Amino acid sequence: MLDRLSFVIGEAMAALRRNGFMTFAAVSTVAVSLFLLGGLGYSYMRAVEYAQTIPGKFDMRVYLVPGTSLATISETAAKIRQIPGVASAFLIPKDKAWEKQKRDDPAITMGLENPYPDGFKITIKRLKDGDSVANQLRAMPVIDPDPGVIYLKEEQHLIDDGLQVMRWLGLVIAGLLFLTAGVLIFNAIKLTITHRRREIRIMQLVGASFLTVRVPFLIEGVVQGMLGGAFAALMLYGSQNVFQNFLLTLSTRSHLSPFPAGQAVLILGGVGGVYGLICSGLAVASTSGAQ
Amino acid sequence: MSEALSPYIEFKDVQVEYPGRVTGLHDVSLRVKKGDFVFFVGKTGAGKSTLIKLLTREVKQTKGTVILHGRDLGQLRDREIPALRREMGIVPQDFALLPRKRVWENVAYAMRAVGHTRSEVRKKVPDILDQVNIGQRADAFPHQLSGGEQQRVAIARALINNPPLLLADEPTGNLDPDHSWEIMELLKSLNLKGTTVLVASHDMMVIHRMGRRIVTLDGGHVVSDSETAAPVLPSEEPTPDA
Repeated sequence: MLDRLSFVIGEAMAALRRNGFMTFAAVSTVAVSLFLLGGLGYSYMRAVEYAQTIPGKFDMRVYLVPGTSLATISETAAKIRQIPGVASAFLIPKDKAWEKQKRDDPAITMGLENPYPDGFKITIKRLKDGDSVANQLRAMPVIDPDPGVIYLKEEQHLIDDGLQVMRWLGLVIAGLLFLTAGVLIFNAIKLTITHRRREIRIMQLVGASFLTVRVPFLIEGVVQGMLGGAFAALMLYGSQNVFQNFLLTLSTRSHLSPFPAGQAVLILGGVGGVYGLICSGLAVASTSGAQ
Repeated sequence: MSEALSPYIEFKDVQVEYPGRVTGLHDVSLRVKKGDFVFFVGKTGAGKSTLIKLLTREVKQTKGTVILHGRDLGQLRDREIPALRREMGIVPQDFALLPRKRVWENVAYAMRAVGHTRSEVRKKVPDILDQVNIGQRADAFPHQLSGGEQQRVAIARALINNPPLLLADEPTGNLDPDHSWEIMELLKSLNLKGTTVLVASHDMMVIHRMGRRIVTLDGGHVVSDSETAAPVLPSEEPTPDA
């Protein structure tokens, strides 16, 4: 069995060496496409991770109509907390709000009566829930329509749109490169099959099994894909280090969390290997010489 | 029918049509006994190579039956073809040698491809090369060999599975008369050891000298069989290879 394996692996390695240029082209394209795909994916995950902390920062304020009773206030608090997408709702009594305002700006507030109504500070679970929560709050008769619901609507939309653009752009660019890499692997294997027509014919003449004839080409595709994936992981690791150093030169306190190099090699290498297997399988199936 | 009386190879009303309605064979019926030495002769396109390819299952008949050692080859599934080919030795006209491999490596490569281990290869290759009298050139590359020597290597490679049947398609097509005769002598000696040998050829001079069974084909029909009647041989005019 081992002897058999060494024969087919040896055949695959010989073909990889023989078609050095095509191998290089296929591996480097897989590497670049997986680098972009992995890099964009990684950045997207980080951005989403960060975005999930944003809703707490972009809180909403609502004010109640003047003269709302305590019983209605507690009833309203319960109703607000039940609105889908609401993470928390804290009552801000008008007295406390006025005290704070006086502390913060004593010159302006001096001699004035408290103009504040009772209100709520509301945080949402996800950015995209902002509009829906605001609409449901506006629909409550106890909420004062003037000023209504106060929140950073535009900023929330901007961040949400930015994430969407990043997701689609990443998918399109990396998808196109991934497709190109597949075509290159496909062509590299077809070229190998053409180069090795004589060996294939000899194998067929002496009765080599279909697997013996085909497996070296599949191994070749898997190796190309895996190498591309591994290089992509190394490129990501390098990019992260360069970016980290850049942040240090700016003397900021920002720092990136550690890059999961081992995981990246495994994941991207695995993805590349599977992709290489699929592309080489298609190439073998489309070439009657290897049948 | 007992095994002793049943033919080793039988073509029954075989018809082969290639794509584009080109007919390769027309209602061919033939029987070959175990241990026979048969020449298929005829002009280009007569159908002699098609007969060989039917046995290797490179071609499948459109009608009729091809039987090898009691097995209907038309019923074979694609994945059974490699096993079929291991029961026979195939000698192509163009030798099909790997130019960057030495003589012994060419034979070893084929053995490795069919699953022989390295130690089996080391043990068996010298024997096979000696069997076809090319052992002394084991370390030579194909381009350093004469045409006859290259054909010997191709025959050596065909013998790696100890086949009871040897199929040769124009084995002397690229050789001068002396080397052609050398190859025929080699095939004769293998036949004397019990191997059934089928040869497609148009090398009439050598075929006459061999004095073996001759099946003549023309336009896809068997026009004569020396086993049943005097052969009707094709004209001696030079023809390109089939």
